[in-house]
Parts: sequence; C-alpha cells; structure tokens
Amino acid sequence: MIAVMGILMDSYRSLKAQKLFKTVLVLSLLVIVGYASFGFNEDGLSLFFGAVQIENDYFKAGTPLATTLYMGIFSAFIVSLWLGWVATVLALISTSSIYPQFLSQGSVELVMSKPIRRTTMFIAKYVGGLLFVILQVGLFCLGAFLVVGWRVGEWNPSIFLAVPLVTIFFSYLFCINTLVGVATRSTLVALLFTLLFWFMTFGVRTADDVLHTFQFQAEGMVATAEQHLESDQAQLASFRQELTVLEDSGSESGREYYQAQVLRMEASVAATETQLQNRRDALDQLKPWATALSVIRWPLPETQRTIGLLQRWVDQGRSVTMNDILSGRFMEEEEERWDGGDARADDGDGARERRQSRREQRRAAESRMMDREENISPAAIIGWSLVFELVILVLAWWVFVRRDY
Amino acid sequence: MTGTPVIAVDDVHKTFKRRVHALRGVTMRVHDGEIFGLLGPNGAGKSTLVKILMTVIRPTRLGGTLLGRPVGHKPTLSQVGYLPEHHRFPKYLRAEEVLDYFAALCSVPKRDRRIRIGEMLELVGMSEWRRHRVGEFSKGMLQRIGIAQAMMNDPKVLLLDEPTDGVDPVGRREIRDLLIRLRAQGRTIFINSHLLSELEMVCDRVAIMVKGRVSMEGTIDDLTADSQRYEITATGPAPELPGEVTVQSLEDNLVKLCLPGTSPKSVQPIIDRLRAADSTIHSVKPVRESLEDLFMRAIDETGPGAATPGAVMGRRPEGDA
Repeated sequence: MIAVMGILMDSYRSLKAQKLFKTVLVLSLLVIVGYASFGFNEDGLSLFFGAVQIENDYFKAGTPLATTLYMGIFSAFIVSLWLGWVATVLALISTSSIYPQFLSQGSVELVMSKPIRRTTMFIAKYVGGLLFVILQVGLFCLGAFLVVGWRVGEWNPSIFLAVPLVTIFFSYLFCINTLVGVATRSTLVALLFTLLFWFMTFGVRTADDVLHTFQFQAEGMVATAEQHLESDQAQLASFRQELTVLEDSGSESGREYYQAQVLRMEASVAATETQLQNRRDALDQLKPWATALSVIRWPLPETQRTIGLLQRWVDQGRSVTMNDILSGRFMEEEEERWDGGDARADDGDGARERRQSRREQRRAAESRMMDREENISPAAIIGWSLVFELVILVLAWWVFVRRDY
Repeated sequence: MTGTPVIAVDDVHKTFKRRVHALRGVTMRVHDGEIFGLLGPNGAGKSTLVKILMTVIRPTRLGGTLLGRPVGHKPTLSQVGYLPEHHRFPKYLRAEEVLDYFAALCSVPKRDRRIRIGEMLELVGMSEWRRHRVGEFSKGMLQRIGIAQAMMNDPKVLLLDEPTDGVDPVGRREIRDLLIRLRAQGRTIFINSHLLSELEMVCDRVAIMVKGRVSMEGTIDDLTADSQRYEITATGPAPELPGEVTVQSLEDNLVKLCLPGTSPKSVQPIIDRLRAADSTIHSVKPVRESLEDLFMRAIDETGPGAATPGAVMGRRPEGDA
C-alpha cells in the first residue's frame, strides 16, 4: 500500500509540475466565471453580471424553466463541450507522457527493480493518469455547484455526477493511450493514436446515426408507398367490379366512365408499384451499410453517450427538460396548459384541434427519432464501453509485464 | 573466500530477439560482506546479469538465489539497493522527493523515510541540495543522489552499475571511502565498472565477463598469482643467468631481468651474480599483474570480438551490457 501511495503521490507531483495542468485549471476557472456571469431576475435574463438585461416572459428568477435552463447549460454545453472536448484534449496531451516517461531508459530500471509487482505498478500508474481528470473535473464541479446554488438557489449534488462520468469517458481514450504508450514508449505516437481513435469513433458514430436516420426515413417511405398501392389496388378492383356488373347487365350507361377509371387506376397502380420498387431498392442498398456501421460501432466505446448520461440524470424528475427548451416544445406545453384551462382559447374555428394535432404529429416523429438513443440503458452504455476498455488494458498490461526493459 | 553466498547464480542464459545471446551460462558467487567487482568490455553481459537479478529483464534460463531466495522473488528486493547505469530521475522532483519516492516503492514507512532522507543526503554530501530539483543537478550530483536512493531501504546488498560514472576524482574517492564504510557495516556490494583502477582499490573479489560468460573469478591476488615476479633493471656486463630468468633490453643500455616468484630469497643469487659481473643495479622491485593486465589477458584469451554482436550493433536494450 505504501508503494501504491508512493506512485500516486508521484503522479500528483508530476501533474502539479506541469504548466498545462495549471493552464487547464485557470481556463476552467474562466469558464466557471463566464457561467456565473449569467443569471436571472424578475424581468428575465441578466448577462455579464447584470451589464446586459434581456427581458423574457418564460425565464425569470424562481421559475422551474430558469432552473432547468441553468442546469441544462451546465450539462448540455459546459460538460459536453468544455469537459467532453477541450479539457479532454488538454488532459490527453498532459497524460500521454505518463507511460513513455515511466518506461524510458534509465527511469524504468529504477522502478522495476523495486519490490512491487509490475501489475500493481501498472494499475497504480493508470489510476495516477486518471487523477488529472478527477482533480480537474472535481474542482470544476465544485465551482459549478456553488454557482448554480448562488444563481438559481438549487443546491444540486447531481452536478458531481460529472466527475465519475467524465473520468469514465476519459478512461475510454486513456486506455488506448496506455496501450500505445506502453508498446511504443513514445509520447507523440501515443497521443496521435488516441486522437485518431477518438475521431474514428466519432466518425463511425456520426455515420451510423445519419445512416440509421436515412434508413428510418426510407422505411417510412416504403410503408407509405405500400399503403398507396394497397389503396390504389382496392380502388381498381372496385372500378373493375362496377364495370363487370355493367357489362353483365348490358347497360351502356356509365360503362365509358368506369372503363376510363379502370385505365387511370391501372396506370396509377403501375406507377406506385414502380415507386415502391425504387424505394425498396434504395432501402436494400442502405441496409447493408447501416448494418456494417452498427457492427463496427458495437465494440467501440460510447464516448458521447456516456457524457450524455449527465443530461439524462440532471433532467430526471423535471416537468420541462433541457431538450424541451432547446426544441421550443416548452412553449407548446405552456400553450397547451393555457388551451386546456381557458375556454377563450377555443376560437371556434377548430384552431385548438389543429394545434393539438400538429403537436402530436411532431412528438410522434421526435419520439421515434429519440427512441433508439433512450432505449439504451446507462448500464449498457457504460458496461459495454468498460468491457472495451478492459480488453485494451489487458493487452497493455500483458505488454507491460512481459517486456524486458 | 568464506561466508554465505549472498548472490549465487548458476547457468544463467539470456537470449534477446534476433537471437542475440547476451548471457551464455553465467555461474557466479558473491559472498556476504564483500565488495565484488564485475568487469568486462561493452556488450559482455554485465548489466544484463544485474538487470536479471533485479527483475528488470526476464532470463531465458536461470538457476540461483539472491539473499537465499530464488532470483525474481520480488519481496527480497526490499533488502537490495540498486543504482542502474545512466539512471534518470523525474526532473520535477526535488532531491528529497526522489529519495522519498523510491523509498516508498520499497515500502519504507513514512516516518522512517523522513529520518533516512536526512541521513542519506548527509552520507553522500548533498544535504544542502535537499530542496533543489534534480533537473538542476550535474552528472556527479545525480550519481550521489542515485547512491542515496539505493541506500534508502537500508539494504543488505547493493548493486551498483558504474557508480563513479561522471564523478570527479574527489567525488570518486568519496564514493570509494563510502563503499569501504558500507562494507565495514556488513553490507555486500556488487559493482559493475569499467574503471579497473577504482575496482582494484576496493574489491575483495572480481569476476571478468567476456562474451556472456565468466572467464575469471577470484581475489585479485589469486588471479594474479601466476604473474607475480621480481624485476631487476641494470646496466653493464651481463652475467650467466639461470634459465627461468628472462632478459629484455631497454633504452640506454638498460636491461630488465624478470624472475618469476614471490620470495625475496630467490632474487638474492641473481643480485650476487650481477654484482660479481660488475653490473650496476638500478632497481629491484616485486611486480604483480595489474587488474588492467588481467582484464586484457582475459579478453585476449577469449579471442577477437569480445563483445556480443548485438551490443556492437546497438540492438540491445541496455547501454552497457
């Protein structure tokens, strides 16, 4: 235990000595100050510590919407963009040298010759690397916690969930960094590979999302075309039946009309069949690519989904979520409440029903789009990613313990 | 040599990638309380052997013990101090932090570390540099800190790879005196070095490694016993001399007579003969082969290319071995 503490202490000293560590701390402080400069009062929003005032009926001091917006800015923007991108890149730059430096000639002999098992050394060094993120995000969350409490009066401890989430997210990348760092003993190569891996997972994930959106749309279009075809075929059958009845009765009246209708519907059915076939072909072309991307994505760690969990957890139990605010849906809900509670809202020409119908259609579409994301449980997102991380770490550990130095 | 072997290795082999044979069956004994010197040219396998003892390198084949435990037994290393060649400390650490870190890796409790940091810095003459970062230190200062870190766990055995590398003559003498003091405390010291004269002054026993094998091992006296002789330089008429005396002509009509053996009595008849022949005797001195001579002889006997090919071509993972 003394030896493990010694390695962790050394990791802390190493971080403390880095200019980048201090730089990230200062930048984080600036982000927190920027966050704190924005707040609410009785008239609406205040920016730059009250220097700019924006009047708003929805976002006022003390309203649930204001609290949701303030918390949402933290989880959806500050955590995702600052901690999830900028601070992570800086953390990777800082920590890429951990293993290469540790394993450099002249340094490795000193540590490997001590009475501590290589496995213990490997794990302690890995945890030491994660210290960078734990310390940075911990301090950042403390600042955010105080700012949220001061600005909207909500002392929300769920803010600190960002510490484990961002650390886990970082660890998906740090394991690649560790493997390449241990194998090559080069800081630059380790950093380069990690960034490439990160961008690759980002690219695969984005392509998979886009292709699945296309696939859903194509499936919808096929379903619509099938409905049209069914309807056209039913109409054609009906016209043909009418025509047969007329022909059997020997009546000339109306025969010409039904003959024209049959011809028109035959042409329509043919056109719809062609359209349906084209749409099916397009869907068939799309499906293998979408499947291939899903297969490629499957073993990769879910970086953004992990960070996105914070948003889910922060929004839990709120009547209006940050997604509602970003999509403008919160205003519809306000209208809905107003429509339902006040008879004056019914202007007599069915406007209320039309608004309601539009809302339902949009919600159904959004719900289908979001179903795919929301159906994945946090345990699945983190669990699979940790399995990936474990596999990579076992490889890195194997190289680390088996090698001659 | 009496005493329990602190290091006993038998038939150690190490083959690196591309079939570079660094060690080809090394057998060696280092006894309790002695200073043992391991000599050899670059690439002979010295550092590889030490790294195997310290678990830095995995042997291809090995039989042997360190402090009575099989080599590779990690807990035993808490009783061993090691100074690698060309060691590098993290530059962000201060001298006291270096010692604290490496002592912690040996599981030395914090309270003991605090006490020993002061003692060790005092021992190597670096007390006033305690709070300075090691990035500011000269090679000699780093070497002193290196020795101090190797001593932090109060080891029974010290393995030092080129301990005087980069140290000035005054520092070398201090290190030599330190090694003698440590031996007096009952510690066993194993030194890898190229500086033969340094070793000759402190080592109780030496081994010479060439091409991954130990070609000679023993006390310097034992190893040089065959070479001990008397040398007489003289001018003037040469008398008739016994067959065991070799004669070599030098400049200015000087001749050098070499008489094998260590007994002063055996040289008296030769002196008498020289005097009787009216020769002028310039000097009479007992001569013994130096460690350097011994070293060169070991290399010559092994034949050309005493270093392993891997080391010569720079393929080995170590600086000196």
